Amino acid sequence: MWNEKGYRKSFRWPEGVRLPIAISVHHQSEEATCPMPDGQPDPFDYSERQYGARRGAWRLLNIMGRHGVRGTWLICGATLEKYPEVSRAVQKAGHCIAGHTYAHEMMCNMPPDTETALIKKTVLVFEDLLGEHIRGWRTCFASHNTLDLLLEHSDIEWDGSMWNDDLPSLIEGHGREMLEIPFATYSDTALGVDITNPAFPPSRFSTWNANPPDFMLRGLKSAFDALYERGAERAVMMPLVVHDFITGRPFRSKVLDEFLIYAKQFEGVIFTGHDELARWARQSGEFGRE
Amino acid sequence: MAAEIKSNTDTVRWPAGIRLPVMLTFEHQAGEGAPLFAGERPNYMVGGAIQYGARRGIWNILELLEKYRVKATFFVLGTTAEKYPETVQEAVKAGHEIAGMGYGFASIRTASEEQERENVRRSAKVLEDIAGVKICGWRCPDYRVSPKTLDILAEEGLAWDSSLLNDELPYLFETRAKKIVEIPFTTSTADKTYVGYPYPQRGGPDGLTSVWNNELDVLYQESEKAPRLMNLSLQTWATGRPATLRVLGRLLERLVGHEEFRFAQCNEVAAWRLNSTER
Repeated sequence: MWNEKGYRKSFRWPEGVRLPIAISVHHQSEEATCPMPDGQPDPFDYSERQYGARRGAWRLLNIMGRHGVRGTWLICGATLEKYPEVSRAVQKAGHCIAGHTYAHEMMCNMPPDTETALIKKTVLVFEDLLGEHIRGWRTCFASHNTLDLLLEHSDIEWDGSMWNDDLPSLIEGHGREMLEIPFATYSDTALGVDITNPAFPPSRFSTWNANPPDFMLRGLKSAFDALYERGAERAVMMPLVVHDFITGRPFRSKVLDEFLIYAKQFEGVIFTGHDELARWARQSGEFGRE
Repeated sequence: MAAEIKSNTDTVRWPAGIRLPVMLTFEHQAGEGAPLFAGERPNYMVGGAIQYGARRGIWNILELLEKYRVKATFFVLGTTAEKYPETVQEAVKAGHEIAGMGYGFASIRTASEEQERENVRRSAKVLEDIAGVKICGWRCPDYRVSPKTLDILAEEGLAWDSSLLNDELPYLFETRAKKIVEIPFTTSTADKTYVGYPYPQRGGPDGLTSVWNNELDVLYQESEKAPRLMNLSLQTWATGRPATLRVLGRLLERLVGHEEFRFAQCNEVAAWRLNSTER
């Protein structure tokens, strides 16, 4: 079991950092393809998602490069194996690289030994193909065991699987500690697209249920404005999630582009990876009871 | 099973003078795939909204395309051609390309090879009988291909398919019969994603405007350095409605008259892809 120490009100980022924005790029391409009612993968959903590795990831990498913005790339082990050239370019660009399970498994449905095996397998893929010893992890569908297994069977330093807080917590257990850096609804799935299952729509004419880009941009800007305002008094962060197959499409990539142009105008807005957020959080040391 | 010929996506070259080809690919159906109520009772709400495309929508669209002198591709269900033959004949007369998308909205994902082949043959024959055209291309009505789709299409003499969504440039597959061109599209920019089903519509006409304007902005910018293609999937039942028709009209206003853009039909794009390989 593990013990959690939440952040105190006195938690602060380093001097000059008013709003850190950590862009998480989910590079998972077709790994989370939805099944048809007969259990087989949906070819339509598969193909729409496969755009992620073939095109979308490259476009996102280019936009981040053009803006000089560093972020975190959460990569599925299977995606890295199938499209290694994308991850190599991400690594070369200096982004924080983290594991995003092997094939985007629903860990909440898995027994602990299977989840452990998948964590270890994924870590090895990054070592074999990138020579990268990953220190970060995100499971979109975490199990009750995820944090325990990471503490016990890996040397992962930060996890980003939880959706339940504004700022990092310190997690202690199995003789070590790690940071939990939660994510939030500042994401292309929350604001843009319901990708849960196009094979079960009310009619066969449905696709993914999507909001248009003007709505997404408005959502991101208003979230940013609120966090920036709050950042004058309290520590805040903006974990912004984009997927290769969603925001990587041309018309949605412009949302990210325009958001970056907007956010970069403000003083104290820092774009960084989860590795640096974890380091800053550790330095702050403000965890535990008030 | 058909296999993609790797690493050929970025090697496509458009004819000199064309910076960004734009494709309007309409799917034309009359409600064949609309869900029925229990006991096969009709659902006139969804079914009727789709039927709109064959009764009225396509005529509105043909008028708009005529106004701007734009040539497009129409994927036509065999059953729709039988029920509304004059819509297809009129499209042919106006110079639009007709392609197949099956018969009666039959899903071929789990069909036998014989069933799938029969579906292709029957669709091709209906379109030939009614509109006098021999189809060269195909899109699965529910975008759900079987493992044999590309092989069967090539064996039946088709030159290209447009059922996949995983890229933005055409590429080649080696099949049992011959090479076939895949011209990918996406539902992410499709009219029906924003002004179709399910209700409530998430975008409305203004939302769809922002989708298409953004798509054009980004592809135009990128096409300065690398080949790009704008391929819009449209439904005669969605874009045919006056409110959506105006959105398409405004997009055409942005494009028509600029030589860097070129409205292209699938046959042309498939030929450009093949010619690029030979170069």
